[in-house]
Amino acid sequence: MADFLDQVEQLRPHERRVAMATLLAARGGSPRPLGAKLFVGEGGRLLGSVSIGGCVDARVVEHGDRLLRENRAERVTVSVDDAEALELGLACGAEFDLLVEPMALDDADPTVALYTEGARRSRAGQSAFMATSVSDGVVSRVLLTRPEDAPALAFVERLAPAALLVIVGASDVAVALARVARMLGMRVVVVDGRERYATIDRFPAGTDVCVGMPSELVRPWLIEGASVVLTSHDYRYELPVLREALRAPVRFVGMLAGRKRADAVRTVLREEGMSEAELARLHAPIGLDIGGREPEEIALSIAAQLVADREGKPIAHR
Amino acid sequence: MTAPYGATVLEHFRRPRNQRALERPTIAREGYNPLCGDRVRLELDVQDGHIRAAAFTANACAICTASASVLTERLRDMVVAEAVQIPDAELVDALGSIPAARLACATLPLKALRTAIADLTSA
Repeated sequence: MADFLDQVEQLRPHERRVAMATLLAARGGSPRPLGAKLFVGEGGRLLGSVSIGGCVDARVVEHGDRLLRENRAERVTVSVDDAEALELGLACGAEFDLLVEPMALDDADPTVALYTEGARRSRAGQSAFMATSVSDGVVSRVLLTRPEDAPALAFVERLAPAALLVIVGASDVAVALARVARMLGMRVVVVDGRERYATIDRFPAGTDVCVGMPSELVRPWLIEGASVVLTSHDYRYELPVLREALRAPVRFVGMLAGRKRADAVRTVLREEGMSEAELARLHAPIGLDIGGREPEEIALSIAAQLVADREGKPIAHR
Repeated sequence: MTAPYGATVLEHFRRPRNQRALERPTIAREGYNPLCGDRVRLELDVQDGHIRAAAFTANACAICTASASVLTERLRDMVVAEAVQIPDAELVDALGSIPAARLACATLPLKALRTAIADLTSA
């Protein structure tokens, strides 16, 4: 999921004011986590969602339009209560509480300023929680490092940074994977030793592209929660990067390789003294078995595995 | 399919000597082959005109990595003025049989060495 800074950057070129709807509570089930956001632009643009679309988001958009005109915040409840749909079993009957509030998309807006600071802290690896209280239509917020410091009855959301994906090897698969990952709201860093491949114009906007010694360029990004995917398909980068990545606190390390070549890479690393526990962290071959062969299809299978890993789902390998 | 190189390359690729970063190198220079993507950085500790320690970091093929390993062994305690004179052929011969098409891989560490010494002496 994209973080607040990413979302604001997407909206700023097009909208001056938006209504931000935040999901505070759900009864009867919700496919989106609490804290999910839907931005309703004054000029008509929409970004994000508080449900999987359809009737709930549409009603929130109506509230957003109204509260932008009235220039005030409100806690609203939206029910999926269409009697006919319920009778036919075509509606879930869920109920959602949301805070819908207008804000100007500039740093002087107190809400934007506070969320921006929170996103900066979380991107820097610091703990950041936003506590939001609503009383008589007045919204008050405080940015915290510990959720237990929140005022009573406040809605507390963890400001998690966008998931970080480090791609080693600026291949065609890397280009496609960066596109899919950006679509999934990930922050993407691409590393390669070859200047001709690792050019900014090949990758989607917002991708960090680094050229140099790959095993050294990846070091600052080998942080807790990061995923590392090697798409260079070349041992000259794979071995040095794996020596770093498999010993780092990242959550996922995967390599584009056939089973035989993957085993050969493991053998070299084992002979160098890498432990079985470290080697077991390497996902190779990488990607779900969807049968695709084109770069975009391989990228899709890799991205699907990253999501499955995040969700703790068992997978069928390529 | 057999490897296009001999036992020396395999030995130095599998067990490279001096593959590390020096704590305080006098000079460090990187060699880069834009065609294949080999990158090798050579670091030297130079005192009184002698190379007291040489080390390297490589994200490179087996030949280039082995070449850097052999070269850094050869450089230890060598006079700088002599080190810059090491001919390509001497390093290539020390590596054993190298295919002609891969000579650029074998000589990349030497190029980094020559750049390092040139920059050191002109400083």
